Amino acid sequence: MTWRVVARQDVSAAVGTRSAKLLLGVLAAAVVMLGYMYPITGPDPITTAHFPAFVTGTLTTLVPFVGLLLSYSAVASERESGSIRLRLCLPESRASVVLGKLCSRAGLVTAGLVGSLLLAGALVVYPFGDLLLPRFLGFLALAALFGVVWSALGVAVSLAASTRRRALVLGFGVVFLFAVVWDTAVDALRLGLTAAGLIDGELPGALQFLVGLSPGRLFGRVTTGFVTPNASVEGPWYLGEWVALAVLVLWAVGPLGLAYWRFERSDLS
Amino acid sequence: MVAIDAHAVSKQYGTEIALDRVDLTVEEGETFGFLGPNGAGKSTFINVLLDFVTPSEGSVEIFGHDCQTAGVAARERIGVLPEGYSVFERLTGRQHIEYAVDSKDADDDPIEVLDRVGIREDADRKASDYSKGMAQRLVLGMALVGQPDLLILDEPSTGLDPNGAAEMRRILREENERGATVFFSSHILEQVEAVCDRVGILQDGELVAVDTIEGLRQSLGGGTKLVITVDGMENGTIEDIRAVEGVETAVTDGDSTIEVTCTNDAKMDILVELHGAGVDVVNFRTEEASLEDMFIEYTGSRT
Repeated sequence: MTWRVVARQDVSAAVGTRSAKLLLGVLAAAVVMLGYMYPITGPDPITTAHFPAFVTGTLTTLVPFVGLLLSYSAVASERESGSIRLRLCLPESRASVVLGKLCSRAGLVTAGLVGSLLLAGALVVYPFGDLLLPRFLGFLALAALFGVVWSALGVAVSLAASTRRRALVLGFGVVFLFAVVWDTAVDALRLGLTAAGLIDGELPGALQFLVGLSPGRLFGRVTTGFVTPNASVEGPWYLGEWVALAVLVLWAVGPLGLAYWRFERSDLS
Repeated sequence: MVAIDAHAVSKQYGTEIALDRVDLTVEEGETFGFLGPNGAGKSTFINVLLDFVTPSEGSVEIFGHDCQTAGVAARERIGVLPEGYSVFERLTGRQHIEYAVDSKDADDDPIEVLDRVGIREDADRKASDYSKGMAQRLVLGMALVGQPDLLILDEPSTGLDPNGAAEMRRILREENERGATVFFSSHILEQVEAVCDRVGILQDGELVAVDTIEGLRQSLGGGTKLVITVDGMENGTIEDIRAVEGVETAVTDGDSTIEVTCTNDAKMDILVELHGAGVDVVNFRTEEASLEDMFIEYTGSRT
């Protein structure tokens, strides 16, 4: 299993870079800060099961940036410089290189995310809050999945672009679309349709499903559905948390699978 | 067992043909020189061997493993010095060798490997600070890890000084004596001549000759080279010589030197022809045809 060799080597190289330290530092600082503020400003009851609803908004903005910026160059920069040739003339497949890179970069993001959430969880519990462990652990798993989604998207971008610069542009495009523009565009659509008299302030179910396909909205929905006590996702079955979870998993494997399929068939020269 | 077995390998980029139905067999244990001017397709062929590039048609096997469909198995027993690589940023020389050791599941001592390629003192420096020649030594070291049965080297002496190139040849010879097959490309003829059992000459994507150096010599009509110094040349002198029976090539080198490759019997005829044309021969000597002469013969150009 040579992907482990790739992953180990990649982690040790990536962890020492200034950008990785900075990105993970910002993420951890933000999460821990929220863990500190939540018992003071959050609505009662203060528990580790209600805390996730408090942080998802920040995470849906921050994790895309951190995940993508940590992984967009994983393959593209080696391809541009030519060092990927040194890997691939060893008995290593392209699949094991990509898998190794994904494990390394996704591992960094999820480790940073889960570690800082644990710390934040401790701040929630002490001195005011209640520990509701199963739901909090469930949230950690969902957050880790969300981190993997954005790392996988970053690696997919890295495979699709032949240079580091193009990967960065493409990556920012993806983050910008889903983490910045999406919600505003959805609001504009809703207001527009309401003003035109077509709907009554609420998007119809099918359209809600469509606009709810962004990774951030899916993450919000699974958090509400699975973690937050006494809350449930409203609407027809296809807006439910299980469907959202399945689509979220699809985000983790779909784009990367497609990009890999193309990469596998392309010439490196 | 055959080390490299290529069947009608072609590669087309748009309308440009980089490789044109190359058939090539490299036997286990030999040192094979892959020769040709820059842009002839040598690197494309090696890229196909390494599965960096998929051939448009044809297939190639290394020790019976198809390089495209079973690439990992094909690369299991080989060591490679590719072209167009760069070393890993942030890794030291020693870490590069360690990576190759891990990847090949070998048990070489990285320091011994670095010592063998002559960069032991630089083991703990970042490889991105290495000169081109040191990087070339480092990657050769990575190739040597795990005692490969086949070494594939693309222009191995690039960036090396004459000393380094001689060391490279010594290592290749040692590896061959250990039993490894050596396959390397070069556009520098002296290197190929010095170490190779057989050579293949690639020209515009086509393999125009595969033979031993001795065999190539013989196919050139005995391979005698005549160097004639004259006191002055007239228009048409070269054409007259080319018309003599048994002459393979005739080229001028400056105003007063003519180099002719020809059969042994044609030597006197050439001198008689020159005399008849009123050209005074100041001096002449014969040489054994070098690989360079053969190369010109086959490709019509100097390297």
